[in-house]
Amino acid sequence: MKVSYNWLRELVPLLTACPSDLADRLSNAGLEVEGITEYGVATEACLVARVVSVRSHPTKSGLRLVTVDRGAGVLQEVVCGAPNVPAAGGLVVLAPLGAHLAAKNMTIARRAIGGVESEGMLCSEDELGLSLDHSGILILPQALAEPGTTLAAAIPNARDTIFEIGVTPNRPDCLGHVGVAREVCAIYGFPFALPSPGQKPAATDHQTKSLVAIAVQDAERCPHYGAAGVVDVAIGPSPLGVRYRLQALGVRSISNVVDVTNLVMLEYGHPMHAFDLDRVGGARIVIRRATSSEKLVTLDGIARTLVKDDLLICDGSGPVALAGVMGGASSEIQNTTNRVLFEVACFDPRGVRRTARRHGMHTESSHRFERGVDPGDVVRVLDRAVALTVELAGGSATAGQIHVQGTRVDAEPAPPPRRIVPLRAQRIGATLGVDVPFVEAIGILERLGCEAKAGTSGSEGLTDEVEVLVPTHRPDLVREVDLIEEIIRIRGMSSVPAVLPAVRASRDVGGREELARRARAAATSIGLSEAITFGFTSESVLSALSAPPPAVRLANPLGEQYAVMRTTVLPGLLEAVKNARRHGERNVRQFTIGPVFLSRQDSRDGLASEASEKDSELPCESMRIGFVLAGERPGWLEKPKSFDAWDAKGYAMALVERISGQAARVEPLDRAHAPAHLHPRGAAFLCIGTERVGSFGPLHPDVVDSLELDGEVLVGEIDLEPFTKAAQAPQYVNIARFPASVRDVAFVVKDDVLAGEVERVVRNAALPLGETVHLFDRFVGGSVPEGSSNLAFHVVYRAVDRTLTDAEVDAAHANVVKEVAARFGAMLRG
Amino acid sequence: MAETNPTDTIETALANLRDSFLPRFRAADTEQALRDENAKILGKKGELTAILKQLGRAPAESRKAIGEKVNAFKQEVEAGFGSCLKNLQRLEREAELSAPPFDLTLPGRAPVLAGHKHPVAMVREDVVAIFRQLGFAVFDGPEIEHEENNFTRLGFPPDHPATDMQDSFWTTSGKLLRTHTSNIQIRAMTTIEPPMAFIAPGTVYRRDDDATHSPQFHQIEAFLVDRNVTLAHLKGVLAEFAERLYGPGTPVRLRPSYFPFVEPGAEVDIGCVFCKQANQTRAGCNICKHTGWIEILGCGLIHPVVFENCGIDPEQWSGFALGMGLERIAMLRYGIPNIKLLFENDPRMLAQF
Repeated sequence: MKVSYNWLRELVPLLTACPSDLADRLSNAGLEVEGITEYGVATEACLVARVVSVRSHPTKSGLRLVTVDRGAGVLQEVVCGAPNVPAAGGLVVLAPLGAHLAAKNMTIARRAIGGVESEGMLCSEDELGLSLDHSGILILPQALAEPGTTLAAAIPNARDTIFEIGVTPNRPDCLGHVGVAREVCAIYGFPFALPSPGQKPAATDHQTKSLVAIAVQDAERCPHYGAAGVVDVAIGPSPLGVRYRLQALGVRSISNVVDVTNLVMLEYGHPMHAFDLDRVGGARIVIRRATSSEKLVTLDGIARTLVKDDLLICDGSGPVALAGVMGGASSEIQNTTNRVLFEVACFDPRGVRRTARRHGMHTESSHRFERGVDPGDVVRVLDRAVALTVELAGGSATAGQIHVQGTRVDAEPAPPPRRIVPLRAQRIGATLGVDVPFVEAIGILERLGCEAKAGTSGSEGLTDEVEVLVPTHRPDLVREVDLIEEIIRIRGMSSVPAVLPAVRASRDVGGREELARRARAAATSIGLSEAITFGFTSESVLSALSAPPPAVRLANPLGEQYAVMRTTVLPGLLEAVKNARRHGERNVRQFTIGPVFLSRQDSRDGLASEASEKDSELPCESMRIGFVLAGERPGWLEKPKSFDAWDAKGYAMALVERISGQAARVEPLDRAHAPAHLHPRGAAFLCIGTERVGSFGPLHPDVVDSLELDGEVLVGEIDLEPFTKAAQAPQYVNIARFPASVRDVAFVVKDDVLAGEVERVVRNAALPLGETVHLFDRFVGGSVPEGSSNLAFHVVYRAVDRTLTDAEVDAAHANVVKEVAARFGAMLRG
Repeated sequence: MAETNPTDTIETALANLRDSFLPRFRAADTEQALRDENAKILGKKGELTAILKQLGRAPAESRKAIGEKVNAFKQEVEAGFGSCLKNLQRLEREAELSAPPFDLTLPGRAPVLAGHKHPVAMVREDVVAIFRQLGFAVFDGPEIEHEENNFTRLGFPPDHPATDMQDSFWTTSGKLLRTHTSNIQIRAMTTIEPPMAFIAPGTVYRRDDDATHSPQFHQIEAFLVDRNVTLAHLKGVLAEFAERLYGPGTPVRLRPSYFPFVEPGAEVDIGCVFCKQANQTRAGCNICKHTGWIEILGCGLIHPVVFENCGIDPEQWSGFALGMGLERIAMLRYGIPNIKLLFENDPRMLAQF
């Protein structure tokens, strides 16, 4: 909501605070001033000037040399290229030497144009920052002011300070200047008076009710429809003062009568509409609901198909406006309009909102009706519109207003009901934690338009409870606490002390924050960086990643790529890889933690176990950690090596073990059972005990291509739900006190022999003295036959109760060699 | 020529060797050369062994004396070797110590290249920790929610513009992606008896996607329900929170505002942390738009309607709620100019935290 400082000062004569002080006070009372802009700054430097003579430029056609009187008879010749320079005697605006035109970021300097020196410029509204009109220079009305007067002095509305106020949806009263003025008075403690509607124009003999018949068929959606008329108007442009006031508030001036409707709306916050009465078919206005598939072309030129819930303003021949949202073209004011009918109505806020949203419209009118206009100001607003019309467009008012409230039709409306809200003195302190004298509290409410009267429970003279009669412009004041808020809002929240409460501590419900924290710590400790990834993705990506089909689809997604909720956390990570590679970053080591959204069947537990019956309608949200490795393994001054499947295994196992505190196991997959998004040679499940908790491996090259990842990527995904309980505390195992004997042994085995199998056989054969077995080298090529590899193990032998003799160790080690040879036909290497 | 006396021959050889071994050792300039020289004398095929081989030809009565002499000599050689070795090692160490220094401009070899937490996660952990210290516990809840918990019971009137502030994503089954973490207030108050003090960190979604909005972001809600909770208590917690998150002496101010589920409602500003001067005044800067204040959260006393909707008597219980966007706090703390950067997961960005 744009608010004019000039207008506020007209409405609040006592207001002397400068704009920035006023802005602070408004913000501190809940009317947040989000910005302050200056309108027409250049008008302070530019002067009214009278054209004395005009002659052609000696060399440049299209330019003219204009001699103007710039005040006190001082003449000056300026070069002007505008097409509309008036004849001698016309008033124009001169930007003199040194004047700064902020709108054009230009300061007037002496310059030669086509060899003629010019020390000033005749200005258009565009150059003055008053409007976007640059069709010609601004020509002022005759006798506006003496030459030499600044434009700002000649037309006060040409210079203003505009506040952009973020009016919260509960405060429709502040969508008009009168409402903001009332706030200003409450804040500063000034008396507030509604503005006079202006000179009450003499009425004609025409009775308004004889000019038009009005019927409201849906009183619930239109509880009050008021109308008043003006006849014999002359449509024309508004005076400059009116135009600039509208322009400063972001509204384009159209014509005097249309400008009246906008000005009055900006004044009272109550939208209104002007009909050309001669174009209202059948001289009838009917307010009714649309029929199904009824059509209306609104003023924006769009043909709209209506539904039964839409409320229409109709004339004898059909719909003319979408009630409270936008008019239609058929009865709008024309240049030839002679008789005007003004509509000021109250529409049901919820209905207006439904219609506006249904048709994707948001107008100044719907914005205000949705929030609730003042049902008590209809007479006042009509009076104001009529008086202003007569002032700006001539003509005379028709006699009497029409007010339709349900079946009641009268020249005076029945006053709308006012809410009564009790207020207890004790609750003020109990709510705010600061004592506010009851008298002061009531005084604040009265400044806001409330009336307080002693309640029934007060003892004589000393009342501790009042009944507060709420004004009709405050639909938000419903309960006692709403009144208490008003009290502290106006008094200032800074008057409340800060007191730390004695908190009675609660206990965690659910454990996901801690789980995520643990998983995050584990992942960062092994060199992964955290990505925050979107919960929504596309169905095609899920299917490419062989994830369960989506359990949740969005009805109004931002796009097809975000149409479903993820069932794997990998899409966001792969998106990060793609983005990084697009920026030339090849190395990505990232993880992400968050839920996947599964159908209740697809999930193993998650929220399901604790869900109430109602929550069983919700999908199962199951926490996962996913990781991605792309590019090169971190090394130190060596030839870079790309990540491979064993990196994925290492990261995956480290993650599971650090998060769970338990040993992880890898279950390699045969081709038939590998998840389709993983490389068939490198996919594996991660297990704890017999429970599968995740999978990892290189992404299938077809998936790499289809997701346009531009190169190999390794992924892993682990279900976190099994680890919701804190990791098991490690249990101490005795450390050995006797020395170990280490033997190295190397075997050449065929490539189809799994290293893990060999290791297992070594481990078993070394028992009971073998303590640890460690595969420390794998070598192919050289003297190793083609199709075989050389596996070298450290075997550590130790007894817990004695130092082993060489003979014991040799015997145990010989058994290892024998077993491996027997089992795999392996050759021992020296 | 008379036949030489074997005893004399041995004596002579020993004497020659005695005269020459030290100079030979000293001539060796590496440890290996020294050991080689030592082996030439004392090794299996060494000169001393060769001399001893002649011992058999010496008369029996003199063998013992010669043997003793040889042993004594052997010790002499070993001592000489030892001292030369020590000397050589000392020289070598000195040479090593005085060689050019290591090039420590080469990159350090980190034991493990630790990863980086996301800046939003760091803020989240810090804020959670602060509220835990104040006695609040964490309450989990779902991201896909019933309209009732996200809007209705929080007092959002149906078809009311208040819901414009939170344009929602709806699922095809009529649920929605929660637009704030305030749904947890409802979940807590409908399942647990007061008093309670909870925080609810989490992901929220709004249908905004432009230069300053991300459709998915994060909030932390904190709420306290007890007997006689006042606006002063809310201010107390806010002041404590600001001191702990932004440093001692950080001023806090409340500006009245509107959220349907609190009354009174307020937005909270802290004194700008970017243009703070040594004397605790604010010079004004672009980040605070020259006001000296930065908005960080919204809050208020829990609306009696919300209590009633959860079956709690607002005459008996009162409480406050506050909620903040974690992205904004992270952007302010780390000087991140654009919210979009927080969701691109660019490795060059993440590596900075």
